[in-house]
Amino acid sequence: MTRPLLSVRNLTIDYVGLASDFRAVDDVSFDIAPGEVFGLAGESGCGKSTIAFAISRLHRPPALIRRESRILLDGRDVLDLPAEALRQFRWREVAMVFQSAMNSLNPVLRVEDQFHDVLKTHGERDRSRRRERIAEVLRLVDIDPDRMRDYPHQFSGGMRQRIVIAICMALNPKLVIMDEPTTALDVVVQREILQRIDELRRRFGFSVLFITHDLGLMTQFCDRIGIMLAGRLVEVDNAATIHDAPKHDYTRQLWAAFPSLHAEHGA
Amino acid sequence: MPFLLRRVLFYLAAFLVAATINFFLPRLMPGDPVQLMFASAGNAMSPENLQALKLTFGFVDAPLWQQYLTYLQSIVTGDLGRSIKYFPLPVTELLGRAIVWTAALMGTATIVSFALGSLLGAIAAWRRGGLFDVTVSVGAIFATSVPAVVTSLVVLFVFGFTLGWFPSGYAAAPSLDPAFSAAYVGSVLYHAVLPMLTLCTVLTGGFVVTMRNNMINLLGEDYIVMAQAKGLSDRRVMLWYAARNALLPTVSSLAIALGMVLGGSLVTEVVYNYPGLGNVLYQAIIARDYPVIQGQLLIMTATMLVANFIVDVSYVLLDPRLKRA
Amino acid sequence: MTALLRGLLHNRKAMVGFALIALIVIVALAAPWLAPYDPGARSGRPHQPPSLDHLLGTTRLGQDVLSRLLWGARTSLAVGFGAGLLITAVGTVMGILGGYSGGRTDDVVSFLTNMVLVVPNLPLLLVLAAFLGQASPIVIALILGFTSWAWGARVTRAETLSVRQKDFVKSAEMMGEPRWRIMAVEIFPNLLSIVGINFIGSVVFAVITEATLEFLGLGDPRAVSWGIMLFNAQKASALAVGAWWDILTPCFALALLGIGLSLLNFAVDEIANPRLRTGGRLGRWSALIKAGEGRL
Repeated sequence: MTRPLLSVRNLTIDYVGLASDFRAVDDVSFDIAPGEVFGLAGESGCGKSTIAFAISRLHRPPALIRRESRILLDGRDVLDLPAEALRQFRWREVAMVFQSAMNSLNPVLRVEDQFHDVLKTHGERDRSRRRERIAEVLRLVDIDPDRMRDYPHQFSGGMRQRIVIAICMALNPKLVIMDEPTTALDVVVQREILQRIDELRRRFGFSVLFITHDLGLMTQFCDRIGIMLAGRLVEVDNAATIHDAPKHDYTRQLWAAFPSLHAEHGA
Repeated sequence: MPFLLRRVLFYLAAFLVAATINFFLPRLMPGDPVQLMFASAGNAMSPENLQALKLTFGFVDAPLWQQYLTYLQSIVTGDLGRSIKYFPLPVTELLGRAIVWTAALMGTATIVSFALGSLLGAIAAWRRGGLFDVTVSVGAIFATSVPAVVTSLVVLFVFGFTLGWFPSGYAAAPSLDPAFSAAYVGSVLYHAVLPMLTLCTVLTGGFVVTMRNNMINLLGEDYIVMAQAKGLSDRRVMLWYAARNALLPTVSSLAIALGMVLGGSLVTEVVYNYPGLGNVLYQAIIARDYPVIQGQLLIMTATMLVANFIVDVSYVLLDPRLKRA
Repeated sequence: MTALLRGLLHNRKAMVGFALIALIVIVALAAPWLAPYDPGARSGRPHQPPSLDHLLGTTRLGQDVLSRLLWGARTSLAVGFGAGLLITAVGTVMGILGGYSGGRTDDVVSFLTNMVLVVPNLPLLLVLAAFLGQASPIVIALILGFTSWAWGARVTRAETLSVRQKDFVKSAEMMGEPRWRIMAVEIFPNLLSIVGINFIGSVVFAVITEATLEFLGLGDPRAVSWGIMLFNAQKASALAVGAWWDILTPCFALALLGIGLSLLNFAVDEIANPRLRTGGRLGRWSALIKAGEGRL
């Protein structure tokens, strides 16, 4: 494998309690290569979203990333970045699509403004050039640029999630994290969004960290998959192997939990 | 706009309730309502004047529903009767003069403490658990839990009497004639400092608590986390993503807080001998000047309803989801 | 319920609040033994400054301020807790009734609630009290109870709407339990923290409003209460003539009671909604960060 884009080493995250801590992520290590789609699967509460938040350092107290943890992006440890460097690193290098399509955009700001602020803070001072860029990325996701003056509530859930993806594309990031990006959407829209991401990935070459509890969806979409159980990464392998010959008991249980399509995997 | 229209209809109904209370209250009391209401007039009023006053309040020889309509008619035509203490001054004139002072005091204090309290609350929520948060939160608890009477008396004692920095009463120096002169306006501002300080102390704490709670409940929302992930500055995320949204429920709680604002300013005016509604009312209560006491309920209710309507409108302006395209 | 109590025992705000209120309650109960003079009797010359004879000085009428303060605590507490209980009871019943019944009943309850919220409270109280003549503390408590329940009703109704959807309510309905029983036995126990917050808030409101009404001259001037103390002191221009002890003593007492109750209220709020907390585990988190155990 070529030099990894993202390299997570011994990542351990606790939620600090009054007397004892809850260990949400326990000594997790994995790599993502440039251009690769890596999936993290597991039931809710297993720590997969906690990992995603740690990569952009979005945690708030009482979350605590233990000191032995390393998150290397292009060889640089994200956890060591000072405040201003971290601010510049965010979105330029790692962009993120969040769980709820209905709630990722600020309801009281025009869609346009939610592009402007990210472009401006990352160095584009000229308003008309920003406008051009906004129109360009909106076209990438098939949203009419004329609608950039609208507010989020004037768009459907699927459209809003496409707008978020357009915001992700604004700065050509190296890694896009997708934290259950389609849970709130219906199946047809879900598929459309994923195909769109895949298409953009082929065109621009970014890597994807894809997080979901839907193992079936994941095997169709990812190159490699990691299975998480109670904060630990129990199995990492190619998507095909995870699908055809899972090694860990828990992976088999996950397959067994799928009712129809993957019934042949039943224990 | 249907939302605002519905509110207006509701406010009209609320005003009718206040008027109805005024109408029935004296009639429900034991004894003769006319005697009760105008007893303090004694012999100072001529029979014709008394007759006119009785008509205004619906005391006519007719069934109750006609009396009620008569009373409503006088309200609609803007006739709230005459003050007994200051006879023959009409109640509307007496209260109208006073309300200018109250509205200025209340309005400024509300706006200042709403802005200040919301800002402090937003910063406290953003830095939750830090020294700033603890200081502001505890300060807010103290400020809100002390009655306005107490705050105004203590402020008056410290700054008015002990330190002597500011005048201890009245809206302007009594030697000056009301005019648009620098001396008069300056005097008015100087006299307003302590009442304003009192009201802002009483009110700011409540807005701090409301804003802090609303904002903390929002901080986990995806759009705020996404704003941070976008690499925006803390200031931008705090003000334009978190505080801007937390302001919506805060504004709607402002409507309810207005009742408290009103109560607080009435008391403050009495303590500072300020010529607003509070003081007029205080005098009226001591003299049992019932037409004035009844009139103030209508005027204050109307003021509250207008203030509520302003809050409704600003809510619509603040939340694009309520605007029609 | 036990979780709530355990939470309160671990909360610094709650403990300070408890201590303040306990102090005032004990003082009020022990007034007959603690008070050096009869609170109504003239026991010295008018407006005497604090001395060994009169620890907190005397009023304009020569009454002992300390004795009036101690006896007055009884009135303030009784009106506060009595009216607070009444306000909470009416608000809770209205809120549960509206929230659980839905339909026409809910429309009526909501309309009434909003109406009472929008008609300003103090002016209404003034009109009521004025027509009732000089209102004794009991009358003030009753008026407060029947005019100030709307805020509690609104909060309780909102909470009832969410509890109503829970499975145990649905199953009780399936089993054909009578409606009053579902409201009283299934729903009410789940609203305890809301009702608690409402109760303490109402007590604060009642204490403040009683003092305000009396200060404005609507109380019975012969009653011994903190509001009447303020009224008499203000009428005697106590501050202007330099008799600060006459007016600042009841001020201090009212502030103490208000702060004690509010601290308790904020503590209950924090326990019901842990995100609002300021100390506790966040303190431990900062300590771990400082110790280099981890970062964010």
